[in-house]
Amino acid sequence: MRLLIIGFGFIGKELIRALRNKIDLLRSINEDFKIIGAADSRGYIYDEGGLNIERLSNINRLLEYGDYRSGRLAAELINRELCDIIVEATPTNIKDGEPGLTHIRLALSRGIHVVTPNKGPLVLAFRELTSLAEKNDCDLLYEGTVAGAIPIFSLVRECLRGDRIIRLSGILNGTTNYILSRMHFEETSFELALKEAQEKGIAERDPSYDIDGIDAACKIVILANALMGRNIKFEGVERTGIRGITQEAVGLAKKSGYAIKLIGTIDRRIEVAPKLVPINHPLCVHGTLNAVHIETDLAREITLVGYGAGKETVSAILNDIITVLKRRSRRREDN
Amino acid sequence: MKFDMTLALADKPGQLLKALEPIAKNGGNIVSIIHERDKPVEGYVPVSLIVDFPSHENFRNAINDLRKIGIAIIKSEEVIKKVRLTFILIGSVDLRRVIESRIKNARIIGLEASTPRLNEVSVKLDIEAPAEMVNELIDELKKLSREQNAILISPIHF
Repeated sequence: MRLLIIGFGFIGKELIRALRNKIDLLRSINEDFKIIGAADSRGYIYDEGGLNIERLSNINRLLEYGDYRSGRLAAELINRELCDIIVEATPTNIKDGEPGLTHIRLALSRGIHVVTPNKGPLVLAFRELTSLAEKNDCDLLYEGTVAGAIPIFSLVRECLRGDRIIRLSGILNGTTNYILSRMHFEETSFELALKEAQEKGIAERDPSYDIDGIDAACKIVILANALMGRNIKFEGVERTGIRGITQEAVGLAKKSGYAIKLIGTIDRRIEVAPKLVPINHPLCVHGTLNAVHIETDLAREITLVGYGAGKETVSAILNDIITVLKRRSRRREDN
Repeated sequence: MKFDMTLALADKPGQLLKALEPIAKNGGNIVSIIHERDKPVEGYVPVSLIVDFPSHENFRNAINDLRKIGIAIIKSEEVIKKVRLTFILIGSVDLRRVIESRIKNARIIGLEASTPRLNEVSVKLDIEAPAEMVNELIDELKKLSREQNAILISPIHF
């Protein structure tokens, strides 16, 4: 199996490090597993015999590897079918999903498996992409798109097959959870908590994607479409962020035994909004943690808690890669 | 549907049996009876019953039949399952408007406000409402908060 990694940012680099550390595990599942290429926004490196994974995991910029084909696009490598799987880890963009959407479309239409933590393409074109994958008999896996390291999709697909999901809800954004938790425990103002989050790199300089609930809404769209049979777009989510939540409101909630959390909910409604969560509720986790709460007809209530963003996402990406290797290696044996 | 009834029965033998007959005749299924015989008032004993009737009409007919045989009815009302919910409103909220807006069958049982600056109110409302009216209540509160440009924070999963 030949892997192409598109995106050499934070996630791309962490993934390569993880692949290097777990290469024996991967080769035990698929003998010929190798990384044949890596691309960033300005070009790529490619070696049909497999890149030197040790060297790859020690560089900061792709062009340091040597033999960097500047000005060339990753799409070329996909078009020429020089890979069997791609990890699409370019920055998420929910305006037009690019460049991720093009990469994923191209790959799937050529029967190349796709593993991605990139939300944009899935928010904008979920049905189109899943149909494309099905039509071309290849895998489209996206565990890393929602609640990073929490294996929500895998759990529902493999372990709750007999259940009907009544409601899915959760804290899906670590940045806003951090801010609200600081306000709750340290009794600080919103502005101060935000500033702290920015200083720690937990919030961006322009934090609107997180604090206006856009990130959480994207994740709700993917969850609703993938796990609850809906067909909704981003605009279909009733969205309220945490801008305007006051220290006083947090204090009033705290006195009554609640914490204010930004919760995404899918039941008869599809919404992202600040909610009063009882402090003892399993969903009531703090700091940058994420939590997903599943209510079903049989299992009743399951809560998953874990880290949402950051390098923990690599766990999800790696598991998806292993899923592809196992499914497709097995199939080859059957032939 | 469950109904909460309190009857005044004469303190002599056979009264309870006499009272249960019209209830049963009208399809009433007894859920509980509290016969407070140690609290007689002027020769009458209060008996509290929770009865499950198939319809309001059955209930009304039972009440009429009880009255016809001379049994005094001190209380009779439907037992409505209620929930207590907490909400927070943030913004330049007109508290009076909130209190005066009649949300059907809902009662504000608690209110606490924090107004650090003029026009900046954070208010906590404890509201008791019939369980089946919760969705309507929330829609009504959402409407109210939109009108006043306020943020509504509802309890999770409601």
